[in-house]
Amino acid sequence: MIKKTVESLPPVSSLPASAAGVKKSLLVWFSARGWKPFAFQRSVWAAVKGGQSGLLHATTGAGKTYAVWLAALQAFAPEKPTKLRHAGPSAPLSLPLTVIWLTPMRALAADTVRALQLPLDALNAEQPGALPWSVGLRTGDTSSSERSAQARRLPSALVTTPESLSVWLARADAQKTLSTVRMVVVDEWHELIGNKRGVQVQLALARLRQWSPSLCIWGMSATLGNLDEAMQTLLGHENGLLVQGAVPKKLVIDTLLPTQSQRFPWAGHLGLAMLPQVLKELDASPTSLVFTNTRAQAEIWFKAILEARPDWAGVLALHHGSLDREVREWVEAALKSGRLKAAVCTSSLDLGVDFLPVERVLQIGSPKGVARLLQRAGRSGHAPGRPSRLTLVPTHSLELIEAVAARAAVEAGQVEARIAPAQPLDVLIQHVVTVALGGGFEPDALYKEVRQTAAYRNLSPESWKWCLDFVRQGGPTLAIYPDYQRAIPDEHGIWHVPDVRLARRHRLNIGTISSNASMAVQFWSAAASGGAKLGSVEENFIARLKPGECFLFAGRVLELVKVHQMTAFVKKASGKRASVPRWSGSRLPMSDTLATAMLLQLEAAAQQRFASPEMRSVQPLIEIQQRWSALPTPQTLVAEVLQSREGWHLFLYPFAGRNVHLGLANLLAWRAAREQPGTFSIAINDYGLELLSAGEIDWAKRLPDLLAPAVSDAALLEEVLASLNASELARRRFRDIARVSGLIFQGTPAERKSSRQLQASSQLFYDVFRKYDPSNQLLLQADQELLNDELEIGRLSASLARMQLQQRVLKNLERPSPFCFPLMVERFREQLSNESLADRIARMVQQLEAAAGQPTQTSGAALRKGTNTPECVDEVQKTLAFAQDTLSASTAKTSGRVRTSRRKPSRPLPLL
Amino acid sequence: MITSHTAVGKSVAVSCAGEVLWLLPERAIWWPAQRVLWIADLHLGKAATYRALGQPVPAGTTRENLERLNQLLHHYQPTQLVFLGDFLHAAKGRTPSLLNALAEWREQHHALQCVLVRGNHDSRAGDPPASLRMEVVDEPYLMGPFAACHHPQNHATHFVLAGHLHPALNLRGSGRDQLRLACFCFEPRLAVLPAFGEFTGGWTVTSQPDRQLYAVGGQAVWRLPE
Repeated sequence: MIKKTVESLPPVSSLPASAAGVKKSLLVWFSARGWKPFAFQRSVWAAVKGGQSGLLHATTGAGKTYAVWLAALQAFAPEKPTKLRHAGPSAPLSLPLTVIWLTPMRALAADTVRALQLPLDALNAEQPGALPWSVGLRTGDTSSSERSAQARRLPSALVTTPESLSVWLARADAQKTLSTVRMVVVDEWHELIGNKRGVQVQLALARLRQWSPSLCIWGMSATLGNLDEAMQTLLGHENGLLVQGAVPKKLVIDTLLPTQSQRFPWAGHLGLAMLPQVLKELDASPTSLVFTNTRAQAEIWFKAILEARPDWAGVLALHHGSLDREVREWVEAALKSGRLKAAVCTSSLDLGVDFLPVERVLQIGSPKGVARLLQRAGRSGHAPGRPSRLTLVPTHSLELIEAVAARAAVEAGQVEARIAPAQPLDVLIQHVVTVALGGGFEPDALYKEVRQTAAYRNLSPESWKWCLDFVRQGGPTLAIYPDYQRAIPDEHGIWHVPDVRLARRHRLNIGTISSNASMAVQFWSAAASGGAKLGSVEENFIARLKPGECFLFAGRVLELVKVHQMTAFVKKASGKRASVPRWSGSRLPMSDTLATAMLLQLEAAAQQRFASPEMRSVQPLIEIQQRWSALPTPQTLVAEVLQSREGWHLFLYPFAGRNVHLGLANLLAWRAAREQPGTFSIAINDYGLELLSAGEIDWAKRLPDLLAPAVSDAALLEEVLASLNASELARRRFRDIARVSGLIFQGTPAERKSSRQLQASSQLFYDVFRKYDPSNQLLLQADQELLNDELEIGRLSASLARMQLQQRVLKNLERPSPFCFPLMVERFREQLSNESLADRIARMVQQLEAAAGQPTQTSGAALRKGTNTPECVDEVQKTLAFAQDTLSASTAKTSGRVRTSRRKPSRPLPLL
Repeated sequence: MITSHTAVGKSVAVSCAGEVLWLLPERAIWWPAQRVLWIADLHLGKAATYRALGQPVPAGTTRENLERLNQLLHHYQPTQLVFLGDFLHAAKGRTPSLLNALAEWREQHHALQCVLVRGNHDSRAGDPPASLRMEVVDEPYLMGPFAACHHPQNHATHFVLAGHLHPALNLRGSGRDQLRLACFCFEPRLAVLPAFGEFTGGWTVTSQPDRQLYAVGGQAVWRLPE
């Protein structure tokens, strides 16, 4: 090897250029492409040269990649050619691993590699060896042959994901291979900062800094409300440089208005009524992206568009995270080359892939936040100086108000902040085992190291001790977890993982995105390998289907042939009813920023000001709400009570976002149940909440007590925690924690199969911890995360206080108001109960018996036919359909019917 | 349908293959005529198996399982106890502490006749030690008109009692109330028992013609209308 190096030493003319030379030739390359360095690019170049770290804030397509990459090329130009090594037997000389480029999505990684390669190829073609850099890629998709090649010789710049970097840290030779790194670039930091992946990045950076103390860290972020904080979280200190990419992009936001004004909002509807208008818009533009908020919605829209325009077969594409990688890559490539008329997609295309040909972006349904709206708008006109245009397509009437509110917030420059999670112990436990694998650790040194991160800055010695105990013996006392150990100290006090099988499982399990078990979907063929792969759907969805039943996936109606070893084999089906997979992903909560903006719009409406076309379009609905009930505004808190066959309803509209509503609803139900044991069903949306009691309750009388402010924050916390114990929320939250901390094993289906004796649901873990180790910190973390992230206890407390200042308007409804209707028919509900289990079962069994004795008259189908129902129900039914368009009616009915029959015998619609 | 309030809970009597069987809220079936108690899917040592494989599951489930079993035995005083398979979870779970606890338990009920019908887990976990004095048999184990099995199946001449599925049902009521409960599942020639063990999951069964479900919860067994 050494001999070869000597032999192939380049001639003098191809020696790497000096730092000054590199800068000069890069500038030449820049201007040859018709570009001029922006001021922000120059300041990043200078900062990196000076060894400074920082955060670059710039919109996508504003040239931020080259701001950072060219800075690295200038700053880390080799002083001496002797430092160079071969990347392969025939490859030219290059620097050792110098730059790690972290990107949140695999789809972005390949693109980034191409972008980084561009200046290298151009300059090296002119002057061979001028930029002695090689660029490589390593993600979960990287082939094993490439991995082993990389193990022998790493590229100078490695593009990878946070998970792949953590897997690298778990290798025994991590320090040896990673200590040459001088710079880490974290792309799309705004996508990472608010979640546990961001915490994983913080921990990995702290590790790398141990090995290269002068490590230069640069983040790149889109607009956030808290950029300073975002930078400090990334760097772990306050001495960074925040560089503002000063290229204002022109942004146009407009709304597609429904042709006829609709009276009733309907959150469950998929909004296909707007299809004709959407088709018109797509027709008028060469290439468009159609964003939806859920994968199911994307499938439905794709099918509907194609049915309406069969001539677009082949130029209309579908893109979401469950589709097979090859399918997704094909769509991305086709978008880039401008071959597509349109792509229907989910957040899977949110991030910064360059799709220059895209001119229009349509957003189906509310984007739920200003930052997300800006991000998606940025997908169009994706080049410096070109305008971005985003068109909102409302799926129900209230989204028209959200649209105006969002536009007003953008104009006012109000963007949400993203708050980083504070010391999640599950991520720390995973990291501790990772480091134990990656060469081992000494507890005091690692404690000091993790405390350098923003996430664990205030980690107490007790919590740290608990984490160590947890990975060593399961818990603080040996008695609870006999015969268990994961990591243990050796005779020198260095902690390792002695069990190779555990080590392997940990590497496969690294990551913080938890997903439900999924099953591959593949065409059936007689050949052993099966036909083309289509993607994956959740296991529990497939489990509910019988062979011969159909579902909509990857834009096709598929018939299930059989299930074999974690693969669902399917064939094409036509003319049959299909159900749509419902992927469990959390629904996006509307941000505070947007909710506030929305209340302001309602306030204007209450004063008879309808300034925008959207508000004029929704005016009839607002007038009905005012007539039948009242309009929520910043000064008015509207409460509505209603009695139906379902029971006794209370509706409340604090406009504080789903999360706060969830906590508030639990709290109110808990307070109501304290005086009189009962079971409450809770529905929430972004505007308000519903409490439904099967037993009689005088909501109007109870309301003042229920809304009373807590005596203190501590008392409130106690009440909320007590309410959590009576509900299922913490149990569900525990699922992710169990996965990240290694309680539940993920990995590929084949690996899962081989570890079947370890399969237990997080629910079982939760119950057994609660019973036998109630002080387990992971349980406490589940409560803590619920309080902070999900219920936002701070905002909850503020909301309670604000509601005291608001004027309370209580209305006894004769029929559901436009605002309460979506809550009433919400399928996803929480429950809170403090009744005895026997009482509850007795009541339900009694009801079933009563129902069994009668002809099945109560079903939703009977209501739908209009038999024996008051006329107003018919009217409501009609308006619910949101324009009687044949296509929407058929699709909605199809999916609805399949699900209805499976879910329960009667689909309860309010009896008016 | 007869119900009975015992010291242990509210049971339901069913007539089955010409015999009267009691469905107990402790998730067992009692055959008073022959003083036989059937129990399915104890999965002893499951938590220990997890720990041995590196998953921290707290100990305590074994003790709890055996204590519930003791209560049943004291109350009904059966002559024969038949385990319908999956007595032990896995070979890794056969820890000394589990085997000691079992030996102690057996000592307390030394006169009791114990039969284990091998289930899929037992085949891999291995038969319990001989010192436990359990008769270990393969399914079907015929007892009067009944065939004691682990896997639900049809039998030409006998009524099958089985486990394996850990059946559970979803119960719904007004006010959008819903509950998930373990259950007994009766079909014309077959009855499936709920899992007796703690730390075991459930498999959802739905109501069908020719299927009678009995929910278990709140210290009682509940016959559901068809």
